[in-house]
Amino acid sequence: MITLGHYLVVSGMLFALGLAGVIARRNIIIVYMCLEMMLSAANLALVGFSRFHLVNGLPDYTAQSLVFFTITVAAAEVAVGLAIIVALFRSKQSVDVESVTKLQG
Amino acid sequence: MNASILLLLPFFSALLILLGHRQLKGAAVLISVGSSIIAFLASIAFLGADDNEGTKMLLPFIDVAGFRAGIDVMSDKQSQGMMFIVTFIGMLVHLFSLGYMKDDEAKPRFFGSLSLFMFSMTGIVLAGNLFMMFIFWELVGLSSYLLIGHWYEKASAAEACKKAFLTNRIGDFGFMIGILLLFGLNNGDVAFDNLQDAFVQGGPLHDAAKLHPGLITAAALCIFMGAVGKSAQFPLHVWLPDAMEGPTPVSALIHAATMVAAGVYMIVRMSFIVTASPLAAEIIAGIGCFTALLAALMATQQNDIKRVLAYSTLSQLGYMVMAVGAVAMAAQHGHAEHGPDPGHAAMFHLYTHAFFKAMLFLGSGAVIYACHHEQDIWKMGGLRKHMPVTFWTFAIGTLALMGLPPLSGFWSKEAVLGTAYDSGCRPLFLAGALTAVLTSFYMMRLLIVAFFGKPRSDSAHHATEVPMIMLLPLAVLALFSIFSAFDILATPLQAMKPPHVEGHDTVLFASLAALIIGAGSAIYLYRGKDKDPVNIKLFANKFYFDEMYAVIVRVCQDRLAWIVTALERVFVDGLVARLPTAIIARLGAATRMLQGGHLQGYTFLLGGGVIAVIYLVVFVLPHMGH
Amino acid sequence: MSVLELIIALPLLAALAIWLGAPARAASMGATLINLILVFVTTIQYAGKTGLAFTQSRPILDNPSLSFAVGADGVSLILALLTTLVMLAAIWQIQDRPAIFYISSLLIGGGALGAFLATDVFFIYAFHELALIPTFLMIALHGRADAAQRKAVAWKATIYLGAGSLVLLAGLVWLVLEFSGGSKLTFDLEALRAQAALTPLPIAKQGQIFFVLLLGFGSLVSLFPFHSWAAPAYATAPTPVAMLHSGVLKKFGLYGLIRIAMPLLPQGVHVEWVQNALLLMLLGNILVMGLVTIHANRLDDTLANSSVMHMGYIFLGIAAGSEVALKGAVILMFAHGVSIALLFGLCGRMRNQLGTLEYSKLGGLATHAPAFTVLFAFGAFASIGLPGLTNFAGEVMIFAGSFTNFKAAALSNLHWTVFLALWGVVMSAVYMLRAYRGIFHGNATTGLFMTDPAVSQRVPFILLATTLLVTGCCPWLLLNLMKSAL
Repeated sequence: MITLGHYLVVSGMLFALGLAGVIARRNIIIVYMCLEMMLSAANLALVGFSRFHLVNGLPDYTAQSLVFFTITVAAAEVAVGLAIIVALFRSKQSVDVESVTKLQG
Repeated sequence: MNASILLLLPFFSALLILLGHRQLKGAAVLISVGSSIIAFLASIAFLGADDNEGTKMLLPFIDVAGFRAGIDVMSDKQSQGMMFIVTFIGMLVHLFSLGYMKDDEAKPRFFGSLSLFMFSMTGIVLAGNLFMMFIFWELVGLSSYLLIGHWYEKASAAEACKKAFLTNRIGDFGFMIGILLLFGLNNGDVAFDNLQDAFVQGGPLHDAAKLHPGLITAAALCIFMGAVGKSAQFPLHVWLPDAMEGPTPVSALIHAATMVAAGVYMIVRMSFIVTASPLAAEIIAGIGCFTALLAALMATQQNDIKRVLAYSTLSQLGYMVMAVGAVAMAAQHGHAEHGPDPGHAAMFHLYTHAFFKAMLFLGSGAVIYACHHEQDIWKMGGLRKHMPVTFWTFAIGTLALMGLPPLSGFWSKEAVLGTAYDSGCRPLFLAGALTAVLTSFYMMRLLIVAFFGKPRSDSAHHATEVPMIMLLPLAVLALFSIFSAFDILATPLQAMKPPHVEGHDTVLFASLAALIIGAGSAIYLYRGKDKDPVNIKLFANKFYFDEMYAVIVRVCQDRLAWIVTALERVFVDGLVARLPTAIIARLGAATRMLQGGHLQGYTFLLGGGVIAVIYLVVFVLPHMGH
Repeated sequence: MSVLELIIALPLLAALAIWLGAPARAASMGATLINLILVFVTTIQYAGKTGLAFTQSRPILDNPSLSFAVGADGVSLILALLTTLVMLAAIWQIQDRPAIFYISSLLIGGGALGAFLATDVFFIYAFHELALIPTFLMIALHGRADAAQRKAVAWKATIYLGAGSLVLLAGLVWLVLEFSGGSKLTFDLEALRAQAALTPLPIAKQGQIFFVLLLGFGSLVSLFPFHSWAAPAYATAPTPVAMLHSGVLKKFGLYGLIRIAMPLLPQGVHVEWVQNALLLMLLGNILVMGLVTIHANRLDDTLANSSVMHMGYIFLGIAAGSEVALKGAVILMFAHGVSIALLFGLCGRMRNQLGTLEYSKLGGLATHAPAFTVLFAFGAFASIGLPGLTNFAGEVMIFAGSFTNFKAAALSNLHWTVFLALWGVVMSAVYMLRAYRGIFHGNATTGLFMTDPAVSQRVPFILLATTLLVTGCCPWLLLNLMKSAL
């Protein structure tokens, strides 16, 4: 029997993996993909909660609809984010995160 | 009415001239001289005014609850007599200046300053309370500053006027403290007559004198400090000789006859408080006596005709101050003069001295004028034949100053020595007599070297008698130098002549002996000499006071100012501004380390933050309630 | 619209008009001239009255109670007179400068007028801050040093005055909260005064609040040791700003102490530790800054430091706290404002003409520029405290006011401080006469040459000098405005 716990563990692992990638990887595209992975982890948790939270015997679909929103936003975000990365590459000739430290105080 | 003319006429003439002297040009001179003549006439009317008129308010200068500093006019013997001296000599000096300053470019400015002086001096004489006296006290300081610095392009004149003002300021520092102490002790009333009443007849001041005699002594000495500055007593005497940088008529009026005597005038007004304090009386007599002796010693070795007279003025002022102290000491010993008109030796000497010293200065001015601004007596000589009128008047003045009977100086000097004798303090009398010896000596020296012998320079050779407008004041003053001490003049002129005391044979003998010894030795030493046979460096260099004060000023003021400035920069700015700035800068640097600009660093912190929040929410907060 | 509102609004409107394109000199001169006449007439109307007059209040908020309230008594009218006089002189003497000089002078003057004439603590504070902003900007943009240095000076002043204002704000908020007592908050000075008369605070608390206000107001007036912004700021500031800030705006802190702190906390300054602290600080002003001024060898340095030093005397009046001393402090505020504005104005002119203010390079100017010399002498001798010029009346009242309660015939710390402060009078004579000697006396051997200003350019200085002479010879003219107790 797959319980909510299983969903959440997978979601947590996925989030941790993503975070580790964001922190550790240098290539900005990989960092970006890891970021998407963390987003997916959140989506997974939402779906899990939606499935196991029953209202009048039916799953709570509000959470499911939230997931659709997230995916839509994420798509838009990918468009903007990838555009930024391309612009960055054009100016720096590099996709290394260490090459962008302009915000240093 | 009368008094307001005396006060306001010179005020408006001074204001008019000083502010518009370039538009007025020659008219300025007329205004100034005219106002001085009218003031003289008014002062004669003032002489006849009722003694007991007391104090009258002219203007409410400052009048708020608890503090009054009005322009009050005081009319009594002392102010009437002094008023005559001031306006009379003032008028003569105005006339003399018409000749002496004829070719000066800045003549209107000179006469404007002279009018300002007449205004301020009138204010001092008429002052009915201490604050008013202080106001005019400062104003005579200003006019003296302007007049000494008349030829300000000369560095020595510019320095001299500054020195005079600053030295007087030091005296005024004490004066103000004294005024404030009396103001506090007498519940805010510093009118002279009220002070005296409160003191003599039992008022707040009387009680304070019983309870806090120390405060009264302090107040008396502080008040005296004002006189020390204005009357150039030791240790603030250094400005007066330098003040000779001013035009000679100014020296005659301000630095011989009137302004420098204001200190004596004031301290005689306040003599009741000196009488109350034995210590103050002794110190005042001591300082006066010391100044008299010191200045007389310095005078014996001066070669500048005006400087000899300046030191002689110092010495005579010392006499007057000594007399103030001595009279108070005598009163403490029960030797006070009683009766309706006790007079005052200091005021009497002030009175006679004003005439002959003004005359000597004007005479020296005539000599300087005739010798084309030559002031060294060793470059004069033989002037007796070239300038007979000047010579005779100068000789009369010299003899009066030496105290030859029956000239005026003899009577007043005898009165001063008499009080010193009565004070019961033998050294005071002896020093006074010694000063008299020295006075005869240096004055005789001056007369012989400048007027006898043969001309020792071209300018002395070609000297001619000065014009009539300058001789007239000399002649008038010469008459006064002879006759002013006789009752026929002294009584109507309110000279405050003390009654002659019988049994002062010692005093009489001493003053005659002093005259003979001093004059005789000067004649013996200086007759027919072309250069000074006596050479005492210490006296010629004025006991090195100027050098000493220069060191004091350099060390105690300029060096101190330098140190304080450095400390202020380092510590005040350091503690208040730099230290907080440094702390904030450090904090900023520390927080800046977090702001590395590394994306992944931020993410790491974000992750750490998330974990910390989860930990807190799950493990810590639920257990907080227990 | 009351006349006071008009007086406040006029310079601000003129500034706006110039910004929108009106001719700068004509508009600002017109506005200040009208303003001077308005204030003068108002002052004459006030003569003989007591208490607040010409009051008007426009409610803005109900709780906390806040209203745009104006009103004037003798003290505020004397200061308003000072402001308009100095403002006219400062604007008049501007020559060949961009419009920003006129605008900022108008804003500083208008702000100061607002601060002096408002009777609501909130607006008193806000108007002062309004006047500070152009001061900083003008120092930073048009100061006399090179760009880096003048910016540093402007920042220093900004930080000091900003921090001072912050402390002041804290003190005012504390004061208002203490008086509101949990009920309705009010910023109205008259209401607060009534409250203070009805239920005075405990004496210890009065002392504490007074001290905080003293620090706040004090740093605005360059009370030692919070003074080190002042001298460089005045030496660097453009002439009209130096005249207006040192002459007028600086008096705001003292005005605040006399207007807000003293009446609301009548015992505050008499709490022993507060008084001793104040006496120590003001001695720092007088003696330390006196020596620092003696050390100065440039005219702008001398004037800037002397203006810090002279504040010590006004603080002495506040420390004495008696009726006479406080009135003397007000007179001295007026006198110092006029005399220092006169001196800074002349100093600015000299710098423009000669390019240097070092005494060692100057000398003999009295021969070339006699009228200028006479005008300078007025300012110099006024600040020395010569009788016949206004400063003397203020100083002597402060000194005498410290001795009005000498009943016990014992010398307290206050009296000893007065004696030491009197030595400061000697010191101010030393540095002023040194300056006068260095610039005007002696031979003009240096080749530096300067002529008298044209007659039309003398007018602003003659205006100030005449004020010193008239109010100095007749101080009762000013005293008659302060018939009621402070």
